[in-house]
Amino acid sequence: MFNRNYICALATSAALFTGPLSALACTVCAGGASDTTIEGYNASVLFLMATPYLVMGSIFGGIVFTYRRALKKRAEMAAIEQPIGQLAWNQEEGRR
Amino acid sequence: MAQSSTARKIDEAPILTEAKRAAFGGGDPPAPPVRPNTPIGNNAWLAVVMFLGAEAMFFAGLIGAFLVFRVGSVVWPPPFQPRLPLGVTGFNTLILLASAVTMRLALSRARVSDAPRLMRLLAATASLGAAFLVIQGYEWVQLIHFGLTVSSSVYGGLFYTIIGFHGLHVFGALIWLAVVCANAWRGSYSRNNYIGLQTCAMYWVFVVALWPVLYGLVYVY
Repeated sequence: MFNRNYICALATSAALFTGPLSALACTVCAGGASDTTIEGYNASVLFLMATPYLVMGSIFGGIVFTYRRALKKRAEMAAIEQPIGQLAWNQEEGRR
Repeated sequence: MAQSSTARKIDEAPILTEAKRAAFGGGDPPAPPVRPNTPIGNNAWLAVVMFLGAEAMFFAGLIGAFLVFRVGSVVWPPPFQPRLPLGVTGFNTLILLASAVTMRLALSRARVSDAPRLMRLLAATASLGAAFLVIQGYEWVQLIHFGLTVSSSVYGGLFYTIIGFHGLHVFGALIWLAVVCANAWRGSYSRNNYIGLQTCAMYWVFVVALWPVLYGLVYVY
């Protein structure tokens, strides 16, 4: 019953329940900063947390869009450029 | 002769019999013709995309710092600070947005190898960008005259840092555009080769698209 996974789950749950107490380690909260200062830091942190997802999502989306457009263009080019059937000489040609 | 030709096509499997193997001719079919594959994307395009991502994170850091003070202040702008010129800067915003339009039009002209119109549109883009910087510089001189400096307050420090870095990026984009104009004058760009113009256009549109965000945050909000 008390295997490693169970102990890890127990420790994680204990950390979650003691979360509000551990937040006092933040200098802003423990230093008695005003509500507006805390709101300012919260807004900044939320913005900076969201920005990497936006940036990487845009880059990844741009790459996927370019890849699909290139595949479509390559298929169109392949449909236009038919390979010339190369003829190989064989004995029947020579007998005539 | 063509109707009765027994020559085989490249995609047909060779018909081999015992007699043919022993006689002259036959053998492996020739290799299929090589069809060159076009690359999925240009390396320069990918490099500029990564660079723009880094630039976006740089400005995100500056905006984050601004938000700490802006949201954390009860009164904004702080008292006894000069007010920012909303009207003139709003008009300046329209000038910069127009430069993005002319840049995109220039890119479309390069794709059809329309060199004369390409040059005119690039010149228009550079003129609009230079006008933006001149008007910004004039406004800065006025603000300094009215007492808003980098060291006057946090408000001044934030303003000049954020708007100053954007102006520096516009200046850098102008220098890049000047090089692109010189290359276009020499006829370096055509419908098959316009990657230099395309990367410059990407950077220019990024700098232009960033400005309304900064204007809305620093000037209006």
